[in-house]
Amino acid sequence: MSEGKIVAGFIAPHPPHLVYAENPPQNEPRAEGGWEPLRWAYEKARKSVEELKPDVLLVHSPHWQTLVGHHFLGVRRLKGKSVDPIFPNLFRYNFDLDVDVDLAEACCAEAQALGLTAKMMRNPNFRVDYGTITTLHMIRPQWDIPVVGLSANNSPYYLTLEKGVEEMEKLGEATRRAIEKSGKRAVLLCSNTFSHYHFQEEPEIPEDMSREHPQNYKGYKWDMRMIELMRRGEIREVMRLFPEWVEEAFAEVKSGAFPWMISAMGYPTIPAELYGYGTVIGTGNAVMEWRLAA
Amino acid sequence: MPIVSAFLVPGSPLPLLRGDNPPWAGLADAARAAGSALAESRPDVLLIYSTQWIAVLDELWQTRPHSTGIHVDENWYEYGDLEMNLRIDTALAEACIAAATDAGIRSRAVNYDGFPIDTGTIVANSFLNPDGRIPAVVAANNLYHDFAKTEALGRIAAEQAELQGKRAAVIAVGGLSGSYFDHEIDIATDHIVSEEDDAANRALLEALAGGSANGLRERIAEFAGAAKGDMRLKHLGWLLGATGGFSGAKLLGYGATYGAGAAVVQFQLS
Repeated sequence: MSEGKIVAGFIAPHPPHLVYAENPPQNEPRAEGGWEPLRWAYEKARKSVEELKPDVLLVHSPHWQTLVGHHFLGVRRLKGKSVDPIFPNLFRYNFDLDVDVDLAEACCAEAQALGLTAKMMRNPNFRVDYGTITTLHMIRPQWDIPVVGLSANNSPYYLTLEKGVEEMEKLGEATRRAIEKSGKRAVLLCSNTFSHYHFQEEPEIPEDMSREHPQNYKGYKWDMRMIELMRRGEIREVMRLFPEWVEEAFAEVKSGAFPWMISAMGYPTIPAELYGYGTVIGTGNAVMEWRLAA
Repeated sequence: MPIVSAFLVPGSPLPLLRGDNPPWAGLADAARAAGSALAESRPDVLLIYSTQWIAVLDELWQTRPHSTGIHVDENWYEYGDLEMNLRIDTALAEACIAAATDAGIRSRAVNYDGFPIDTGTIVANSFLNPDGRIPAVVAANNLYHDFAKTEALGRIAAEQAELQGKRAAVIAVGGLSGSYFDHEIDIATDHIVSEEDDAANRALLEALAGGSANGLRERIAEFAGAAKGDMRLKHLGWLLGATGGFSGAKLLGYGATYGAGAAVVQFQLS
């Protein structure tokens, strides 16, 4: 068996508005469109995934928040309806996904070997969170690639940001080790919004794009600064500024997906490809790729 | 008198799912005792506020007439599934939405099949309303609302119940000290994370027993900051607003839920 590898990592944010606007058959509400630049960005990401032909997609979602350690989906098939508790008017999605339990178990074991608290979620009635589902739908709507779902341990909020980031970086290292031993081609998905300042009221027509713009100028400027650094391949500078970005832009990357992915990829110094940036109820969202292998 | 009883209960599912575990058994017994006391008060409706139902846009109110099925907690799934049997007093909920909106708190109805009703609401309803017979009004914890605004919501719910001539039981669902064990523990040894948190919890419970006068709001605010109080104890804001104050409180149970503080309290109404 040849050594497995991470072939790419994507920033793949999860506003449910993107699924809503696309009107897929799995989602109950119907939209008139909206958020097109971000959805077009995802079209490019989808093409890239198609070219890469990965064996597995790994997604780290802030909407499966766990208090005790890092959890992994551990049931081979999970099916049900996921209703977004914040935007139930937009996202009521019938999901049906296959989990790569073997790789999830390997990631879990490697995390434990590195001293992290980690466990497998084995309850077949578990309802997968909307962040995981939105990111997976937007990146691969065919649902034909098995997934590994990782929870967002609460450590960046419960402990300190520094300690939380350390945990996530270890989790990234564990993930990389497991992938390498698996012989599989893996794509990593960081399911995070950047600046997370948002409006507190929803327009009458949610997809009315005349109401959509950055909620916070400082947050927007931070997003542009960080995207530019990523596009230049200056990932160490990104990580140096990470605490300030989190603090000043109220960035959702605090939840851990970003340091997890960047660590797993070995802090890549290649330029990231920006597919698009846009706001959703005022939050900043980028779709980006680090292509590590052909 | 529209408010006929009032209770504080924890939202953690651990006492419900594993009531056989000694550290959680006392909380489970206490919650069942609270259920008996609630039944004796013969309410027409439950006014529920759970810290675990998070909202960020508008104030949300559950209006689905009857929610059933299985709920799996995202953290404690290994201990089993939660059975949901929640009826909603839709007429009262709609009246609350209108009144809250009139009061400047933009509110919305939530009536969707499959909506993830939060663990805390399900746990409280299971203990206090085990056959699911009594309908409820359930309001969300909007993260941007402070204690005072949550009090206003509780007051609005009670006023609307009175306008409809309904006897209401007020239920505040949430914890006390918020620090928890962030690593695996032997659940048979569960206890409050620190002596400081334990002392703070006991002092707060003593203050509740003294009634709502005498600076209770300030005590709650101090506690919330010092002991990482669950959602700044806004669930007690709901209770204070809905009851209009209380003369004392009877502690039915106190303990830890994976290190965090939890109590079951029955309030004596003024």
